[in-house]
Amino acid sequence: MSAVSRFFDNRNVLGLLFMLPAGALLLFFLTYPLGLGVWLGFTDAKIGRVGEWIGIENYEYLVTDSVFRLSVFNTFVYTVIASVIKFALGLWLALLLNKNIPFKSFVRAIVLLPFIVPTVLSAIAFWWIYDAQFSIVSWVLVKMGLIDQYINFLGEPNLARMSTIIANIWRGVPFVAICLLAGLQTIPPSMYEAASIDGASPFQQFRHVTLPMLSPIIAVVMTFSVLFTFTDFQLIWVLTRGGPINATHLMATLSFQRAIPGGALGEGAAIATAMIPFLLAAILFSYFGLQRRRWQQGGGDK
Amino acid sequence: MTRITRRHFLQASAAAGAALSAPMLARESMAQELSFKPEPGAKLRVLRWKRFVQGDEDQWLANTKKFTEKTGIEVTTDAENWEDVRPKAAVAANIGNGPDIILSTNDDPHQYPDKLLEIGDLCEYLGKKYGPWYPSALAYGKSGGRWIALPLGSGGNCMNYRESHMKAAGFKEFPKDTDGFLKLCQGLKKNGTPAGFALGNATGDANGWCHWLVWAFGAKLVDESNKVAINSKETVAALEYAKELYPTFIPGTLSWLDPNNNKAFLSGEISLTSNGISIYYAAKTSNDPKMQEIAKDMNHAVFPVGPVGHPTMSALFFTCVIFKFTKYPNAAKEYLRFMMEKEQYEEWQKASIGFVTQPLTFYERNPVWTVDPKHTPFKFSCKNMLANGYAGTMGTASAGCMADFVVVNMIAEAASGNLSVKEAIEKAEKRAKRYYR
Amino acid sequence: MASTEPREGMHYLESLPRRWVTVYIPLLVFLFVLLFPFYWMVITSFKPNAELLSTGGNPFWVDEPTLDHFRKLFLGTSYPKWMWNTIIVSVSATFVSLAASVFAAYAIERLRFKGSRQTGLAIFLAYLIPPSILFIPLAMMVFQIGIFDTRWALILTYPTFLIPFCTWLLMGYFRSIPFELEECALIDGATRWQILTKIILPLAVPGLISAGIFAFTLSWNEFLYALTFISASENKTVPVGVITELVEGDVYHWGALMAGALVGSLPVAIMYSFFVEYYVAGMTGAVKE
Repeated sequence: MSAVSRFFDNRNVLGLLFMLPAGALLLFFLTYPLGLGVWLGFTDAKIGRVGEWIGIENYEYLVTDSVFRLSVFNTFVYTVIASVIKFALGLWLALLLNKNIPFKSFVRAIVLLPFIVPTVLSAIAFWWIYDAQFSIVSWVLVKMGLIDQYINFLGEPNLARMSTIIANIWRGVPFVAICLLAGLQTIPPSMYEAASIDGASPFQQFRHVTLPMLSPIIAVVMTFSVLFTFTDFQLIWVLTRGGPINATHLMATLSFQRAIPGGALGEGAAIATAMIPFLLAAILFSYFGLQRRRWQQGGGDK
Repeated sequence: MTRITRRHFLQASAAAGAALSAPMLARESMAQELSFKPEPGAKLRVLRWKRFVQGDEDQWLANTKKFTEKTGIEVTTDAENWEDVRPKAAVAANIGNGPDIILSTNDDPHQYPDKLLEIGDLCEYLGKKYGPWYPSALAYGKSGGRWIALPLGSGGNCMNYRESHMKAAGFKEFPKDTDGFLKLCQGLKKNGTPAGFALGNATGDANGWCHWLVWAFGAKLVDESNKVAINSKETVAALEYAKELYPTFIPGTLSWLDPNNNKAFLSGEISLTSNGISIYYAAKTSNDPKMQEIAKDMNHAVFPVGPVGHPTMSALFFTCVIFKFTKYPNAAKEYLRFMMEKEQYEEWQKASIGFVTQPLTFYERNPVWTVDPKHTPFKFSCKNMLANGYAGTMGTASAGCMADFVVVNMIAEAASGNLSVKEAIEKAEKRAKRYYR
Repeated sequence: MASTEPREGMHYLESLPRRWVTVYIPLLVFLFVLLFPFYWMVITSFKPNAELLSTGGNPFWVDEPTLDHFRKLFLGTSYPKWMWNTIIVSVSATFVSLAASVFAAYAIERLRFKGSRQTGLAIFLAYLIPPSILFIPLAMMVFQIGIFDTRWALILTYPTFLIPFCTWLLMGYFRSIPFELEECALIDGATRWQILTKIILPLAVPGLISAGIFAFTLSWNEFLYALTFISASENKTVPVGVITELVEGDVYHWGALMAGALVGSLPVAIMYSFFVEYYVAGMTGAVKE
């Protein structure tokens, strides 16, 4: 090997080279504007007017603002409930799809559909399904004689929360399922063979082979799933715009509402910045909590 | 820089407008013509809101084409859903690049007045020739004495109701006061043909009727000096009224966005709501016999007057703004002038069956208002409406409160019983104070 | 070649009825729930307006199917142009992101250069930033670079949310590939580049496809940036175009909206069906220990 190629095979040099494209893109289009955004949160910038530095005044106000507090609560409820259900259903669906079923590949392709349709458009379909006067769900239930009044899906605070969560789950399950399925398929069949020769029941196999082998991918998928849910915007924007009486406002939608239509750029930026600590906590939790394997070990559980 | 405008002339009372319009016909020929000399090679990009009614856009584009033929200036028009124009305009204002002209709504221009081209000469000229401007048009067009936006007109707002259902509820004509209005709603509810007014985060419809309600009882978010004044016994009265009104609505109104009431009205689910002329237009131009029937049976009425004793309606208002960053300010002004001249403006109103209500008294004579008596109630939308931010002045604070649904949320919370009247008012007061710092 | 060997050890002991209860019925329920909104979209896009707003009749069927909504979509709007824009933007953004992510994931996960752990964490944190806060500062930047209102504005900004995800997904995959392989290859004198292209990438194909599909879909769906950075109608993407130009004031054209959603999903659906096959078949090259 020549010196040059040895130089390029050096871990650190090569690592740096390999990191260059991703690093450059992220630094320029993400870190820099992020800094700009955080800075905005400490100013009273309005649309079309550069702000003055006002320190933490935006945050001081937000702490006392009941709408903001409600949006934090909503964001948590929305994220926790939707993520837990998405994970459970997604894992179940992945296990089902991993079995020998007829039309396997066709079914797998079909399952992904909800994830394919642009969110905004599927949200509109849901809006149509949830409509207070034309809801097909209500229509069916009325015809079946189960209810006598149309369900007010988006008009009651708790029902509206539930309805938006269901729409979010519907969109998210295929994504979780397909990623976990991909993970399931990387588990060598020999491990199951070995386990069944050792007399492990299907449940034990799941517990001691599947889950440990899946854990890295679960960590990644769930972390991102939580992130997407936490910063969700489109679905709520189309379905309720944060209504009824702010019951479904998430931090992202509130930040947008105050910054763009409302013109209070600084305050909107502060709300968005306030999401960061929460997200950080969520990420660290799933990153260290779900990833039981040691960083250095690439192999299976010994 | 501020031009000294001849404000005392402009403050000519709008009420005199109707009386003035006859002499004005004569004056028109004498009014000095004004035209701006477009820059050579000028090209314009216009961003407008997506039509509410088909005829509006068709005629607007036809007028634009006429302008291009006459002047050789190429005009590209993009249309977006009206609520999406707002972020676009905001970004354009912020980064100093985008369309030359934006057709915007409500108090948007007042959020970035210093990014907009001063168009006093054009507005004064139009005011002389076709005016005077109604007070609401002045409120929306001027900021700190500068003309920053050309008032295009109001989207109009009226009670839309079903004649037969109203009669069945025991009313020969639409009630003119808030007490009668409540009785009508109760009667409609009893007959199973309820009313429905948006209480969700619907920028147009919910803000429209909610502001009417609060103002009708003499309550207001801010007083003349822009001090928050919502915590008053008038507001309590308005909310108590809303609490009685809300149970008469069809279930689900808390979630309603702008399209919901159109849909519910056209399907016969509700028989009373507030809206521009777009419901009627959709029914009238439909080839479905059921819709035709609704068109025949429906009618419009001006908003009832509350205890305060004068009309207090609120409606969408449309303005045209030219950004300072445009390379062709004269071409842009010339285009707007052309579009506001009677040859174009009247045709445009006709095509949209009066969706846009004129901001200038002269256009009251437009036959569009009399050709179908169901159009007539919309005729005075601009004249009767109060501007956003009433009784204070318009600016970032008024736009912010509107976009943040301070008044709508207050009514929705009190009416649905989620908060007590007192709590709802205190919450609204706190939020408003934040904007009106 | 597709794998036919049973994955579950005790498979031959499972009776048919039991399989129905544990596999088929739940799967059918899943499919029903996941597909119903699509059925509803299809039905809506062929329903004449009169039927859409009538509360009588059977809503699950169309009495007089009509193609009006599709006609409106293709002849009355710039839909075909939006479609073309979306395809170009999504493909380019996906390609850029995948390439950058493969290198980054390999470097972090396998090379473990100095500071790789911190870098990994940093990339992870990069996802923390909701587009709703970035878009104003980004808009200013996009304008300063002079790509405002062009496809480049989207192709260059989409990777900001695609790279973190793809990198992490790929790291997970790379991690599941035994280290021994790489060590053997190194001992045999292979360069890192050869290891990456000859060993790791072929093994990580399913991961690449997952990441690619994911990135493509996310780009296809992106709304906020596309709404902000694009202003001319001819440069719009499908989601933004449909929403901003088919919603007219306070009138929603349900039929045309649903038709737009359906047609807008087709290219992705075709791509998926093609890749899911590949994805299943490509799995069998699993590592034998």
